[in-house]
Amino acid sequence: MTGVTTLARMTAFAKNQWYVAAYGREIGRELLGRTILNEPIAFYRTESDDKVIALADRCVHRRYPLTAGRLDGDTVVCGYHGFTYDTGGTCVFVPGQKRVPRTARVRSYPVVERDSLVWVWIGDPALADPGAVPRAPWLADPRWTTVGGMEPIDADYGLLVDNLLDLSHETYLHGGYIGTPEVAETPITTEVDEGAGVVRVSRHMDDAECPPFYARSTGIEGRITRWQDIEYHAPCLYLLHSRIAPVGVLPEPDGSDPNAFHVEITYAITPSTDRHVYDFWAVSRDFAQDDEEVSTFLHDLNRTVVLQDVAALNVLQKALDTEREGYQELSINIDTGGLAARRILARLATEGEKTAPVVASP
Amino acid sequence: MSGTPTAEVYRIDWLPGTDVLHGVCHCGAERTAEDPVELWQWMLAHPTGHHPGGHHPTGHLPAGHHPTDPPEHQPNGHRKEPR
Repeated sequence: MTGVTTLARMTAFAKNQWYVAAYGREIGRELLGRTILNEPIAFYRTESDDKVIALADRCVHRRYPLTAGRLDGDTVVCGYHGFTYDTGGTCVFVPGQKRVPRTARVRSYPVVERDSLVWVWIGDPALADPGAVPRAPWLADPRWTTVGGMEPIDADYGLLVDNLLDLSHETYLHGGYIGTPEVAETPITTEVDEGAGVVRVSRHMDDAECPPFYARSTGIEGRITRWQDIEYHAPCLYLLHSRIAPVGVLPEPDGSDPNAFHVEITYAITPSTDRHVYDFWAVSRDFAQDDEEVSTFLHDLNRTVVLQDVAALNVLQKALDTEREGYQELSINIDTGGLAARRILARLATEGEKTAPVVASP
Repeated sequence: MSGTPTAEVYRIDWLPGTDVLHGVCHCGAERTAEDPVELWQWMLAHPTGHHPGGHHPTGHLPAGHHPTDPPEHQPNGHRKEPR
């Protein structure tokens, strides 16, 4: 049978990669805990220079979570016995004795704060290149207005990648919100830049119904030209460049596009555990930037759409968990982009295993 | 990961009005299929079985026969260079 593939039970994690850990606004002078690729991490900002710090969220002493402790200036104090760590993870105080054991340290993680996102490097710190962090500049650009949030999903992160790479599901799962018949009906173009690790999926609808998400935010009445251009920077960042205009309105010959509405939809897909993924989402627009009503509408409607995905993927994961090892599935044309993404993820996971160091537990 | 664009670009177009997928490898080899799994397997086997200029196995559409293929989907117009 064509299109049939046999699947493993979970999508392998890709180490030696940058992952979104949080929005910058989430991290402050309270400890924030996030588990990323099964590694519990504590995040906070320093008092001295507002820098984001990421330390393993387990005290070296008895593995008590540091996030259950407190900050003291730029240091973290374990809430169980007072072991105190500096920003590099070195223990600088233990109770009752002057000598701090040489091995008393927790792992610190490379961090980059960019475009309002906090990225953490999971893997060998020596390989962390801040220049390799993919960009989503509109998130921190005053010419754009952004709303966003994060919803956790109890599923293999590969299910979310599949979901986002194939937008034909909008017609069925999100009908009446962002989906219309034309999304599922329109053929796609898929492009893979193997070396860069980027998958592009484009769907250009020349004459489509305008879903409520765009009708109410743009004020367009009638049918639209709707372009969806996905750019997936494996493994974490997913960008959907969305262009909406009245039917027949195209960009100018010089490349400018003053008569269209542009929405940048950003997702960060951050694997937490084998069955848990952080679904960061943001909607940025270049119109009605100061209109609070539009902001509230887009936030609430997009969150509703994300929660529809959350519910569907939670159900799907439960169903898959009842399948036998090596279960089969069927792929068709709409899956061309998702299949490409899966393969790149598998390659990145293999490469990450080859270079990942063996970290001995302290 | 966000590497800089490379020349190793694979492309698959779903030909409008058909169920046919048209793949173009970065080496210029082309193939059509109605199964994305099969087409990716062929594509990623590069250079095995890749013959720039077109290699179409029995049962697949012959070169140049792409129903309702619009001008922008002509294989000659495909980019082989990075963006």
